[in-house]
Amino acid sequence: MVSDSANVPPVSRGRTGRKPVGITKGPGESAHEYTFVSRDDEQVLKNGEYVYYELNEPDEWGQNGAQPVARRVLGRIIKRVPLQLYPDTFLAEPEVSPAQVAAMVGYDARANELFELHVAIMGYYDPESGSFINPWIPPQSGKQIFLADDEMLSQILCRKRVGQPGSATIGSLLTRTPGAVPIVLSVKDFVSTHLAIIASTGAGKSYLASVIIEELMRPYNKACVLIVDPHGEYGTLDQLPNLPDFSEESGEEGVEGYRAQVRIYRPEQVKVRLSSLNMGDMRHLLPEMTEKQQHLLSRALRKVNEMKRGTPWSAQDLMEAIRKVARSKNDEDGEGADDSSTVHALMWRIEQRFVDSFTFDDVQHLDLREIFKPGQCTVLQLNEVDERDQQVIVATLLRRLYQARMNTERGKVHSGESYLPYPVFVLLEEGHHFAPSGTEVVSTQILKQVLAEGRKFGIGVGIISQRPGKLDADVLSQCQTQCIMRIVNEIDQKSVAAAIEGVGRDLLDNLPALSKGQVIVAGAAVNTPVICRVRQRLTRHGGESKDAPDIWRKYFSSEARESRRLQEAPLGNNQGFSLLK
Amino acid sequence: MFIGKIVKSDSHINYVCQIYGPREVEVEPAPEDYAFGRFVRIAVRARQGDDPEAELHRVLGMSTEPRTYAVGVIYDTILLNPSFGSLGPRLSNETQVELFSPDYIAERAVLIYVMVLGMMQERTTPEGQTEVFSIMHGVPLLSLELGSEIETMDDEQVRAFHFFSDPDRPDEPPYLHMGYLPHIIAQRNSLLPMVALCIIDQLERLFPQNLSLLSIVKRNFAWRLKVETTG
Repeated sequence: MVSDSANVPPVSRGRTGRKPVGITKGPGESAHEYTFVSRDDEQVLKNGEYVYYELNEPDEWGQNGAQPVARRVLGRIIKRVPLQLYPDTFLAEPEVSPAQVAAMVGYDARANELFELHVAIMGYYDPESGSFINPWIPPQSGKQIFLADDEMLSQILCRKRVGQPGSATIGSLLTRTPGAVPIVLSVKDFVSTHLAIIASTGAGKSYLASVIIEELMRPYNKACVLIVDPHGEYGTLDQLPNLPDFSEESGEEGVEGYRAQVRIYRPEQVKVRLSSLNMGDMRHLLPEMTEKQQHLLSRALRKVNEMKRGTPWSAQDLMEAIRKVARSKNDEDGEGADDSSTVHALMWRIEQRFVDSFTFDDVQHLDLREIFKPGQCTVLQLNEVDERDQQVIVATLLRRLYQARMNTERGKVHSGESYLPYPVFVLLEEGHHFAPSGTEVVSTQILKQVLAEGRKFGIGVGIISQRPGKLDADVLSQCQTQCIMRIVNEIDQKSVAAAIEGVGRDLLDNLPALSKGQVIVAGAAVNTPVICRVRQRLTRHGGESKDAPDIWRKYFSSEARESRRLQEAPLGNNQGFSLLK
Repeated sequence: MFIGKIVKSDSHINYVCQIYGPREVEVEPAPEDYAFGRFVRIAVRARQGDDPEAELHRVLGMSTEPRTYAVGVIYDTILLNPSFGSLGPRLSNETQVELFSPDYIAERAVLIYVMVLGMMQERTTPEGQTEVFSIMHGVPLLSLELGSEIETMDDEQVRAFHFFSDPDRPDEPPYLHMGYLPHIIAQRNSLLPMVALCIIDQLERLFPQNLSLLSIVKRNFAWRLKVETTG
């Protein structure tokens, strides 16, 4: 009689240095899952960890026909179910470990736990296409499962290597020791197909954004970046040019090397030229205009643009145009038509809004060639600007940028202010201000247009938001690379799940459990969704919360008391003299 | 103290022993010597070598060869009286029989059931000390022989049987073992769980430092025996 074991090939010992961590049990709950059983003595099979089995494709033999090609089919652990646990009664005495009870009754083996691990099959990596190919069949029962080693993961999770041109190393794989498996985004992909960073407040959004900016400004990227910063959190990036990581010798005699530049525009420096506003902006800035006023204003705008022929016009010019339009209209309409109150009201509103305005200026505005330069990161601080004005600033800037890039790409302009012969990346902090869901604001339209068509003209947008639920769903779904950090709010979780198809449900279930500085990265810039630990920033972080108790305590420190006493003294600070005056 | 000898076995681990009756031994065992839950041990016969010197040492009780014992627990007692129910005609009463025919053997006996829980090996050191050097809990590999004598174990021996280092990790500190509990539970006998409780009570007395550990097993048993069966 021939025993069955004669037909079973001997269990392979594995290559040197490789130890199987478990044995396949069978197919899992869904078609692309399988389960395996492991004791996991070393506690390495964490949720989200990567494991693989080897698949010999019978139709694909090696070059010399001797060895079949062993493909490593990678999968991600999504669930860990205990199969063997201590009975509840063994856990009755807090000071006695259940292992002691088990040892007393004769079970003295060190390993006592057994787990069933559910794995979502990702497929084997095809270096040519840079993607994972699903084998469409779960592994046979009894296959050995291996833990993917750091080197293998670094090669297949990301397309780019650390320090390569076009790479952005944002951190390392969460389930491994820090730095073991770097997570490197492909800059080309997230810059052309847009980026979204979504997280609750305090999860480290602006920290991650700063890390990405740092990477973009490295000598191997030399990117052209604009940050719209409504909270003034990115001011600390100005240390960047002083750090050695952001400069490079040219290597040639007499030729200046690279040094990253940072330009910070304070709120008072951010100006919008009045003549760049269109009727939509006007309607937004002067809400609740009557039909008559709107009609008058649109005709006046047309007139003033005709009169000035592309040169900037002032608020006075606009008011002059309104007067002229109103006069000619009165002549057309004949007697009985009296628009004087309308004209008066409109003029009053324009004067209130635009004359001596903080943001709007007759002549000055942000020069595109000044704010967009390769190797320069420009920060527009809008922290003292009214929200409506912020929207208009972003809308006019995006519109001008889009026009400039479109005209440059199509060869319509070859010099001048709107000649921008390089792609740009714009990072919008508080993205939901500029494209809120449910309502249309002045920047929504142009933002959607840039997101949809910016790829053709080399405009990349990064949107940062803490309330994805409040962000327009179209805008979110246009961002092909997503960095999702901790989100506790259920509505926000749902809107993320709905807008982002690239991330599996199993990864999104981890959202509330992520800690500060941990991020799920998915989409175009990585090969497969990964959970990443964000690396340390090279520049100081500017977005910390205020330590209120510390500030209160300082208020009562002896120096502060003394200086207050001097300030408040009747003759302190020469107040007495000013009183005498 | 020897209390009786094996007269029958029900299985590899269940033995029936007859307690020595009057005039069989010098000191007749009292009921407390074969009480329920008492630990006993039975020597396993060793292979006899043909070395005359070793034989001499053995006879003189000076042998340093290891002695192997099966350790068991008394879990049942039966009072056997073949004449019970035979109310037939008799020629003389009991007192007369005893007086006039002293060679008439009264077929009465106390039988105890012993379940074997493990083995222990001990030897006498050259200094004359007895030393336990190997303990095993569970089903013994060797079987016992009919007629083997049963000996009660004192507290020191019971303590030694329960407190030792794992044989495969001799360097680690010894700890309390009750490796026979699973096979006590596996037996189908209504008295065995009770004997387990009884053993735990004895161990609580012998190992006061392990009270909380024992209480886990004890509570578990007590719950199942007393609460679940009654409730």
